[in-house]
Amino acid sequence: MDLRTRLTRVALAQPAVLLVTSPGATRERLAVEAELERRDWPQAAGPASADLVVFAGTPLPVREDDWAERVWQGVPAPRARVTVTDAVHAAHALDHGHATLLKPGTQHAGHQGHMNHQGHGADHEHESGHGEHGGAHEEHGGHEEQADHGGHEGHGGHEGHRPNGEHAAHQGHGHMDHGGMDHGAMGHGGHQHHMGAVAGLPMAERAADRDELRLDRLHVPLGPALPDWPAGLVLRLELQGDVVQRAEVDPVPTPSASGPAFWNEPWLRAMTGEPVTVGEAARRQCAAHLDSLGRLLGVAGWIDAAGRARDARDSLLGGAGRDELVPRIRPLVRRLRRSWTLRWLLAGVGAQARGPVGGDVHSRLIAWLDAIEHALDAIDGRERLPARPLRGPRGRVDTETPPSQSLLDALPELLEGAEFACARLIVASLDPDLDELAPQQLPVGRNHG
Amino acid sequence: MLVLAAWATATVDARSTGPGREVLRLLVQQRRITRAADIPLVRLGTTLLPVAAVLAAAVLPFGFRSVSDLPDGVVWFNAMEALAWAAVWLTGWAPNSTLSLIGGYRFLAQGLAYELPHMLAITTAALGAESLQVGAVVDAQSGLWFAVWMPVAFGIYLLSALAMAFWGPFDQPAGADVAGGAAGELSGVDRLVFLGGRWLLLVVAAAFAVPLFLGGGHGPLLPGWAWTVLKTAAVLGFLLWARRRVPTVRMERYVELAWVVLTPLAVAQALVVAVVVLAR
Repeated sequence: MDLRTRLTRVALAQPAVLLVTSPGATRERLAVEAELERRDWPQAAGPASADLVVFAGTPLPVREDDWAERVWQGVPAPRARVTVTDAVHAAHALDHGHATLLKPGTQHAGHQGHMNHQGHGADHEHESGHGEHGGAHEEHGGHEEQADHGGHEGHGGHEGHRPNGEHAAHQGHGHMDHGGMDHGAMGHGGHQHHMGAVAGLPMAERAADRDELRLDRLHVPLGPALPDWPAGLVLRLELQGDVVQRAEVDPVPTPSASGPAFWNEPWLRAMTGEPVTVGEAARRQCAAHLDSLGRLLGVAGWIDAAGRARDARDSLLGGAGRDELVPRIRPLVRRLRRSWTLRWLLAGVGAQARGPVGGDVHSRLIAWLDAIEHALDAIDGRERLPARPLRGPRGRVDTETPPSQSLLDALPELLEGAEFACARLIVASLDPDLDELAPQQLPVGRNHG
Repeated sequence: MLVLAAWATATVDARSTGPGREVLRLLVQQRRITRAADIPLVRLGTTLLPVAAVLAAAVLPFGFRSVSDLPDGVVWFNAMEALAWAAVWLTGWAPNSTLSLIGGYRFLAQGLAYELPHMLAITTAALGAESLQVGAVVDAQSGLWFAVWMPVAFGIYLLSALAMAFWGPFDQPAGADVAGGAAGELSGVDRLVFLGGRWLLLVVAAAFAVPLFLGGGHGPLLPGWAWTVLKTAAVLGFLLWARRRVPTVRMERYVELAWVVLTPLAVAQALVVAVVVLAR
């Protein structure tokens, strides 16, 4: 083992993981998150700081735009990626990704660990070496292929790391341009207000802002690969500076649901007549709200509290007893309720008087806290869940439209005029669960979980 | 010395990976940036941050000796620390990426919010010593620490120390909600230099609280340098603790607090100090 290999081994002992979740893959996401927590591997906020990309669920293209490929393009070498399509294989997939990452070839021959984790089969594919990753490979019009593997102008040493590493507009990092407009269905020329292009990227257009000043208006797709973001959600934003002028929810690609929507599972099972206890439902509900809470706190930048919420969620789903859970959850809930900084920062953001999402970000958070405490009390309930009404974490499960649909419908109006950070908070405070939108909602027999 | 302090703080703060491992990780990582990025600006912005921190540290007394005890050292410190504005803005702007740009914007807004009360706070300390020389400020505290009789200025200084290093509750310019913000598109050495520079800046800002408000090297029994180290460690420890207690402060809220509450408070504090100085 030469020095270089040994250094890499030490450096990447705990690789930074970019976890990208597809709709319908909540189980897989939770399994990966729990595993990362157990291993103490940090999570990366974006591709540039990641070593290992973990796709929970097979990423589906949005409007023919293969965003997953672009996320991958943005990751600096040495890098590896794995796809987890079954929660039980999470640990194995991470091991495999880590091994690929440490393979001496990874950083130099540009080995790309790419495997589909269905339990077997890992197809390694070569990729261009030395950071060129296809060199001048044009982003425009999507990428058809990685054809120009030859794009590496050789081993020009580290000069080879030319900065034009074409990772144009990885999701959420829409560039100063028509952001995502340069890919997918709305690509090139499809848009009328082009103002010319620089380096193959379209320029921003202009429009009047709220004070009637003509300012640059950027079209930026937000999602699906952002930290603490609802899986599969894509928002098309028009940004002026960091103010959202207009927001539109992209239609969700049909998730490849491996089972019923995870957070609604107990109620869906009860619907088919299976015996489900009140305690089981309460446990799932409590965990669902803690999951939402963890994300909202993550977006609000309270890393410590977010971590506690996630730990509590994992031990709930791991089946911990009430005696163990109460001392973990109660102090957290009390602390959040009392925090005046949290109130100062969240109150008044995303306020709406009526409707399914009445109140503001802070009052929605308090509603979650109430529900968490309420569910925690019922966690040992042995009686059978009544057949009606079936109220899941986000609303009634037994109605025609899933509750998350009304959350999504409320989004554009709430986001209009919000500053970027507030927009993130608003999305996190609604936390729509796109798994609910899957056409097949009812469980088919017993699934894992 | 500074680097050691930054290192030690990072070790205490590191949640999982130690800083040594993190540095190695970034060193083996490829340096890569977005398409159509302005490379010279990225390099300039990232390197400017540690450079600003080190230059600001030139007037920082270790015990009672500093690299250079300029006659207007307090102004020098503030000027160097303001270089960080340019550094973060350039780093956010250069990669040609929206989220990174938003990070850059945020730091400018942050600068506008924290700088006014911050300048009044350090001016108050200089006023108390009747000198802009850092050595003179320390000498003026051989009896009573400034932190004791100008607590408001001290509190405001601690807040702005966090804000200028855009760290902890003021980490919005590099926040997770914008996928790393200004630092979001940096990898490899660029990232190392930029984030390392941020740690240095935090340590320097915390360490400067010691000569300004905590009596510098003054203290019983121990030599001056030991007191400097102890006090700096205490300030840093407090800042690390504070971060666990609060969420990220958004500038749109903080700017209101800074201008409506903190600035008048700082002015009032300066007034009280001025009256005391005149009367003595």
